[in-house]
Amino acid sequence: MSKSFAKIMLLIALAATILSACSPAGESSSRPTASASNNEITYATAKDINDMNPHLYTGSMPAQGMVYESLVENTSEGIKPLLASSWEISKDGKVYTFHLHQDVKFHDGEPFNAEAVKQNIDAVQHNAEKHSWIKLSTKIVECKVIDEHTVQLTLSEPYYPALAELSMTRPYVFLSPKDFKNGETMNGVNGYHGTGPYVLTAHEPEQYATFEANTDYWNGAPSIHKITAKVLPAGETTFLALQKGEVNFAFTDDRGADSMDVEAMKQLEASGDYQIVRSESMNTKMIVANSSRSGSPVHETAVRQALWHAVDRETISRDIMGGTETAANTLFSSNVNNADVPLETRSYDLAKAGSLLEQAGWKLDAGSGTRSKNGVPLSMSMYYDSNSSSQKIQAELIQSAAASIGIQLKLVGEESASIANRRTTGEYDLLFNQTWGLAYDPQSTISGFTSENAYLHTTQGIAQSGQLYEKINQVMVSSDEQKRKALYADILRTVHKEAVFIPLTNGNITVVAPSNLQHISFKQTQYELPFELMSFQ
Amino acid sequence: MGMYIIRRMLLAVPLLWAISLLTFILINLSPMDPAVVVLQAQGVPSITDELIERTQQQLGLDQPFLVRYLNWMLDCLQLDFGNSYITGQSVWALIGPAFLNTLRLTLVSAVSIIAVSVLLGVLCALQAGRVLDKSVRTLAFILTAIPSYGLAALLVWYFSVRLDLLPTSGMDSYRSYILPVLIITISYAGLYFRNVRSSMLSNMNKDYVLYGRASGLPERVITMHILRNSLQVAISIFCMAIPIILGSTVVVENVFAWPGLGSLSIRAILSRDFPVIQAYVLILAVSFVIFNAISDMINAAMNPKLRNGL
Repeated sequence: MSKSFAKIMLLIALAATILSACSPAGESSSRPTASASNNEITYATAKDINDMNPHLYTGSMPAQGMVYESLVENTSEGIKPLLASSWEISKDGKVYTFHLHQDVKFHDGEPFNAEAVKQNIDAVQHNAEKHSWIKLSTKIVECKVIDEHTVQLTLSEPYYPALAELSMTRPYVFLSPKDFKNGETMNGVNGYHGTGPYVLTAHEPEQYATFEANTDYWNGAPSIHKITAKVLPAGETTFLALQKGEVNFAFTDDRGADSMDVEAMKQLEASGDYQIVRSESMNTKMIVANSSRSGSPVHETAVRQALWHAVDRETISRDIMGGTETAANTLFSSNVNNADVPLETRSYDLAKAGSLLEQAGWKLDAGSGTRSKNGVPLSMSMYYDSNSSSQKIQAELIQSAAASIGIQLKLVGEESASIANRRTTGEYDLLFNQTWGLAYDPQSTISGFTSENAYLHTTQGIAQSGQLYEKINQVMVSSDEQKRKALYADILRTVHKEAVFIPLTNGNITVVAPSNLQHISFKQTQYELPFELMSFQ
Repeated sequence: MGMYIIRRMLLAVPLLWAISLLTFILINLSPMDPAVVVLQAQGVPSITDELIERTQQQLGLDQPFLVRYLNWMLDCLQLDFGNSYITGQSVWALIGPAFLNTLRLTLVSAVSIIAVSVLLGVLCALQAGRVLDKSVRTLAFILTAIPSYGLAALLVWYFSVRLDLLPTSGMDSYRSYILPVLIITISYAGLYFRNVRSSMLSNMNKDYVLYGRASGLPERVITMHILRNSLQVAISIFCMAIPIILGSTVVVENVFAWPGLGSLSIRAILSRDFPVIQAYVLILAVSFVIFNAISDMINAAMNPKLRNGL
């Protein structure tokens, strides 16, 4: 045989060997391997932790939640102290004075004090347009150091969700000023040192990140000494890795998608190695209707109401979600603050849906089976997240019910990012979405009605949108609890009547964890988990 | 031979230039304004015209098309592909490691594919029409017909979970290579061994074989002659297989959480990260050109007649 051919083969083999040998994976012994016995959690995540800069939005929220902390914490009993041990609010509601915990240090040893708070808040405010979704960023006038452990925040007008927004995972959390670049954080940072219970110790992009317990944590060192975030595609790969024990933890991601379907989780639970823990209702999964799309039937209230009646929520909850989520009849469940408002229940009722359409002038065309009005067919596109294990099935169920009353729904599955993009640009008739979670509901979700990036297109096309936006502005600055309640009730009645948010189920976070892991609990936000409270039996 | 290599390399230059222009034009045909993509990726909630204008200036998007193309090409020549719209990191820092990871997988797979294809191809040709030939071809037919993600899931379940022999995913040690390489080998060798087999068979009927036999050459020597002549076609195919595998490991990388080009490109495409997509297309195109040149050179080295064609 030709010598040159043999040489080429040898060369390729050599190159392959050298390349595999110079792989960083040489240190395989230090690689993450999950095991309950060595007091570690390795969780599967579909996306890398990314840039952990807490003053921007590309990082993974569960990871940022371990490393950084805010002044106050949002709990089921309301706002509680965190880095600030106490605070006072001036009578006019404009000045907040925070007294900081002493002896708190950043992971790099720098002291956490009033100066650090000021530098962080100033850095966020210098990049204010990036943060305009969080209305507090438009109201902060000044952050002043009073003494080593006292800091004062002045607002342009009273703003009642101020503390709730300060408690969020970003942007008002604290990074060591030593990590700043030229006194700023908006152009990148030099390190990721927060004050939180875990320290980021290693990061191999697109592979894994490890977090080790902060032994000097001011609130007591956590029991689980190491947490690894391992990047794995959702579905079969994650399921197999859990079965083998390469990862031992998985949870619902920040888009509300579970990495495994209900059946796979049941199988893991049945093996005895894992337990499934679900949070209480965290959010409402829904279909948002683009009321401002004037050329589409979705612009009409009657069409949206008819669609509402065409959703069989009980079947979705029982058969598609396997009983893990409950049927939702309103935008916010009644356990959300200020949202316990009596509203008409629009149950699954195809006859009612049909008569609503008939009254609105949508006549059934016997030939095609689709209704039409003035030559326009009753046809709409419905977008769902192709990463979600259940949205497609829900969409198909709704599609078939809608077809039986003469509404044609075209289903389109897309990536989460693309769905988010449609919500911003308004290029949709109907799309699957969810409210933002207990810590953000109702104030931030409702605030989002006026934001292009959120639900502006959804709400803009309704008849009373001007009044609605005016009420939203009022509710955010009102300091009178009773008045706020009344305004929220008005707002919720308006969007309910207009049927722009068609609720499906109340969603929750699902955790798959080793069966001997204890104290699994949840925060008020659906994006982070309190790993520092967990421990092995 | 030296002259041939130089001429062949020179021929690649205009080709590469055309590819770079095409890549740039195609990306610029996208209806999305890159400035809007950047702002959305950064999670900016309300995108104002002012903000878009400022971002366009920052990205140099306010300049004319040709200026942008020239700047981009000059940067690319220095391996500077710009910054990712999504993470803000330099594209090279993202693509470089991913490319190496995929290249590792590809080269190991290529060796395995070549070894298996040549071995099976020769065996089947020598045994043409007999039980061995038929059963190998049937088995290959069945295996290549199974979608690779299905086969991968099956093998991972059996070897990793059931027998606990190999890792289910990741790139931890040499053991991580076994399953992905096996899957890639099955899907490609199952096709390529047929090329080796049929080219062996057509050579077996040529006159030189008859003369060789008539002159009393031992069978082993004759087989070697046939193999050498048959491999010309195969070498072109194998060389082109390397960039093809480089560009099509998406499924395998996804199933095995392999941090390579396939996963990176899919993420970039879905999030409209134009600089990463541009660099990815360019790198793949360059590898096609390079491997095509290499295959020509190898063939020229093995068959002097071809050297005069250029």
